[in-house]
Amino acid sequence: MSEPVNAESAVLQKTFELRILRYTPGRDEEPAFGSFQVTGAEGMTVLEALQTIKDTLDGTLSYRWSCRMAVCGSCGMMINGTPRLACSTLLRDLPPGPVTVEPLQNFPIERDLVISVDAFVKKIESVYPYLIPKEQKTVAEGPHLQTPAQMAAYESFSDCINCMLCYAACPQFGENPDFIGPGAMAMLQRYNGDSRDGGRQKRLDTIHGEDGVWSCTAVGICSEVCPKQVDPANAVNQNKTNSAFDFFLRFLRTEQPQ
Amino acid sequence: MNERRPYRRPMPGNWWAKPPYRAYTARELSGVAVAAYGGVLFAGLLSLSRGPESWAGFVDFLKSPASLLLHVLLLAAVIFHVITWFQTLPKTMPKMIVNGEAVPPKKITRIATIFAGAMSLALVFFVLGAAQ
Amino acid sequence: MEIFEADVLIIGAGGAGLRAAIAAAQADPSLTIALVSKVLPMRSHTVAAEGGSAGVIQAHDSLENHFNDTVHGGDWLCEQDVVEYFVSEATAELIQLEHWGCPWSRKPNGQINVRAFGGMKIERTWFAADRTGFHILHTLFQTSTHYPSIKRFDEHFCLDLIVADGRAQGATVLSPSTGAFTAIFARSVILATGGAGRVFRQNTNGGIVTGDGMALAFRHGVPLRDMEFVQYHPTCMPGSGILFTEACRGEGGYLVNKDGYRYLQDYGLGPVTTEPRNKTMELGPRDRLSQAFWQEERKGRTFVTPQGESAVYLDLRHLGRAKLKERLPLIFGLAEEFMGLDPAETPIPVRPAVHYTMGGILTDINTATPLAGLFAAGECSSVGIHGANRLGSNSLGELTVFGRVAGQEAVKFARGAPAVDPARLADQAKASIAKALSVRDRKGGGERHSVIRKEMASTMEKGCGIYRLGPEMQETCEKLAELKRRAEHITLDDRSDIWNTDWLAALELGYQLDVAEAMAHSALLRKESRGAHQRLDGFEKRDDERFLAHSLARYRPGAAPEISYGPVKITKSQPGERAYGARGEQLEKKDGAHV
Repeated sequence: MSEPVNAESAVLQKTFELRILRYTPGRDEEPAFGSFQVTGAEGMTVLEALQTIKDTLDGTLSYRWSCRMAVCGSCGMMINGTPRLACSTLLRDLPPGPVTVEPLQNFPIERDLVISVDAFVKKIESVYPYLIPKEQKTVAEGPHLQTPAQMAAYESFSDCINCMLCYAACPQFGENPDFIGPGAMAMLQRYNGDSRDGGRQKRLDTIHGEDGVWSCTAVGICSEVCPKQVDPANAVNQNKTNSAFDFFLRFLRTEQPQ
Repeated sequence: MNERRPYRRPMPGNWWAKPPYRAYTARELSGVAVAAYGGVLFAGLLSLSRGPESWAGFVDFLKSPASLLLHVLLLAAVIFHVITWFQTLPKTMPKMIVNGEAVPPKKITRIATIFAGAMSLALVFFVLGAAQ
Repeated sequence: MEIFEADVLIIGAGGAGLRAAIAAAQADPSLTIALVSKVLPMRSHTVAAEGGSAGVIQAHDSLENHFNDTVHGGDWLCEQDVVEYFVSEATAELIQLEHWGCPWSRKPNGQINVRAFGGMKIERTWFAADRTGFHILHTLFQTSTHYPSIKRFDEHFCLDLIVADGRAQGATVLSPSTGAFTAIFARSVILATGGAGRVFRQNTNGGIVTGDGMALAFRHGVPLRDMEFVQYHPTCMPGSGILFTEACRGEGGYLVNKDGYRYLQDYGLGPVTTEPRNKTMELGPRDRLSQAFWQEERKGRTFVTPQGESAVYLDLRHLGRAKLKERLPLIFGLAEEFMGLDPAETPIPVRPAVHYTMGGILTDINTATPLAGLFAAGECSSVGIHGANRLGSNSLGELTVFGRVAGQEAVKFARGAPAVDPARLADQAKASIAKALSVRDRKGGGERHSVIRKEMASTMEKGCGIYRLGPEMQETCEKLAELKRRAEHITLDDRSDIWNTDWLAALELGYQLDVAEAMAHSALLRKESRGAHQRLDGFEKRDDERFLAHSLARYRPGAAPEISYGPVKITKSQPGERAYGARGEQLEKKDGAHV
């Protein structure tokens, strides 16, 4: 049964200009900006503006999106030069004038605002991103105990939504695409900091060297752009200490690293 | 059929001079001031080992306006370095858990900065006292 | 076209698909499992589930209680043997997730904490702050990387199933990033593609929730069951429909109208209490709360938001900032970021929005569909636990319990099934590809798919909303038929091969229209009111004589779906009065049904 007709006209409308970096492989030699005028609700998000463009002006515009509520991690892009989630960036919160939208920095551009994600997925897969139990337990034996203090040691790292904004902010990842980077290190620390986990050594063995933690120079912008306060810079930098200790202590270890 | 052809945008060589990274660049550059201070101290030590005349020359240099200006600049840079170093500190250490909660980074920075400031002042007063 | 030969193919890598993949890999590590997802697995919409997952854990609770809450909540349209199995397995699955690292919220002593949820007699909802779905999904995804036999096809879009000799034998998929097609052959196939909430205008769902798997099975003759039952979640953001979890009320939040009055007491949910009380007031079930909103709106006791939507307030102020930040951090952030308000200081404007499809692909208790070799789990399926209205925190449990069952059953089936004959099946895959390409390359000045999508969403909201009327549902059915005709002539702006999202959206629209039709026609013919299906045209009462039955929608090419009815499995709970608040307690005491 019908709801009362909404007074659409009562909603405050505004026109915004978006400058979007476009690229279609096979057609364009290199990316170039295209400009769009979008009229919509005064409180619209950058994502809603992109959707309006795609639905009414240019169906060829490509970007990833899904949840609209800043938890699926799909819609990271450079907005006025800063890595942000398009779904949680309100146009009215940006300075007046044209809004620049580009694909995430430091990643290869597949098409328009769509970047390559395969290398990132490989990186998170490389850090043994699952619990390696300290002690084997059957379901019948029930859950482990874990106090709020033990949880606090890794909780922020477990909140990572894999949106890759931190990689777009990291100049060292820009210089060295093989650098494991902040997001994958947050995942590593999420498990290494977990009181139930016993796989610390195995994971530490993956992060030595330039492609490991040592590309990081503690710029720290990764943590500033993180939409979920994961603090990946902390994950990287505390593991420099761990990596250094591990390097010197490995001579004292009896068992060989795998 | 057109094919996948990922476009890699070049990394600008001057990224460190751009706005989001300027604070970082300034922090790293201010580290040079710390090294310069070390150089001044080393020069003093060297002149001391070369005898009283050399030492007197060094002390004269310290009293010169150029040296005073240099010291004011170095002091400012070192204070900046110290403050930003403590801002970075929480990112480099394991999480501090108190009463089941992680201590917020800002709090760690504040406590560490105040502690370092207090220690420096205490050192200044101690040296001044010893000198009298 | 490339070819990939698997033993088990899973389409969808959200909670159910990932759980199925792990179960299959554990059941037989020698089998190759192809796991297809149209997004990266951690983008799947399980990620947006907030409140928690139900599983009996407290000493004073019982499986019996969980069973009764679920069956009453579903207005007796549940398969009771399935519910019984579900409640008995739910807790073990939650413990399994804990063993895989899921960061469940804890009590100070380190034990699992549980919270109250709507329609549940005793607190049994396990939660990870208010990001439960997120943590479950990421835990499952990360755990799945441990199993080498799981071969993922991330960001691959499913065009069609491959069915031959009366059994499902694979699927044809498209990779938008390379433009390449792959025919994946398998001896058994699991659909775990999620719901279809995007067919409605205002909904809590992500853009990917377009009913793909439902439509694929439907087109191959598998009935969609109970499709008229679509859940409106009572507390969503006006305009966007973004969800504010039921846990807001579980933790003690109030719903008040524009006059600051806790209006639920006027709709059989009282008495009013300051502290949250199970199955009372704000902890009533979702269908009742959404219906109460609609009534308030009719009485003029709601207000209009700047988005032009009517709304009531979700008042969390009395919970205090510290508790809000600890228990409801996501909600806190959503209110701040999207609405610019501080929930510790200001009540949040909310209204109902479409949230969940109770119905779906017909399966038995073992997740097997009537099509041999085809299994389904999660929101895309109708295994039978939700009936006419799902209780909050029963869907995450469903993903894991029946995801596991699907994985194990698909392995069992694959081992017994003859090997596929790739040469024969390839033609079918080629036909699916040709059909998809014809959508992309169609010439002429047809409409944009976005126009049709908007009209579909509006007509669904109008005809199949919180309350329904015969003539309006009829109108919706006719409108959908018209839209399907028009959809055959849409033309795209984009005819390129790489990341052609214009094309994918057009294909999704095709899936959505089929699913929408199944919903509208099932709704039109159910001449009673039950759970989430409420009519105001002379069928305001539940009619157990005629409609204590599952609707079954069958696909007919070029025509409206055919609707028939099947029996409901009743084992130990005979249909009775479904009541909450004081009346519910009175009934419980009287018949002792709830011990």
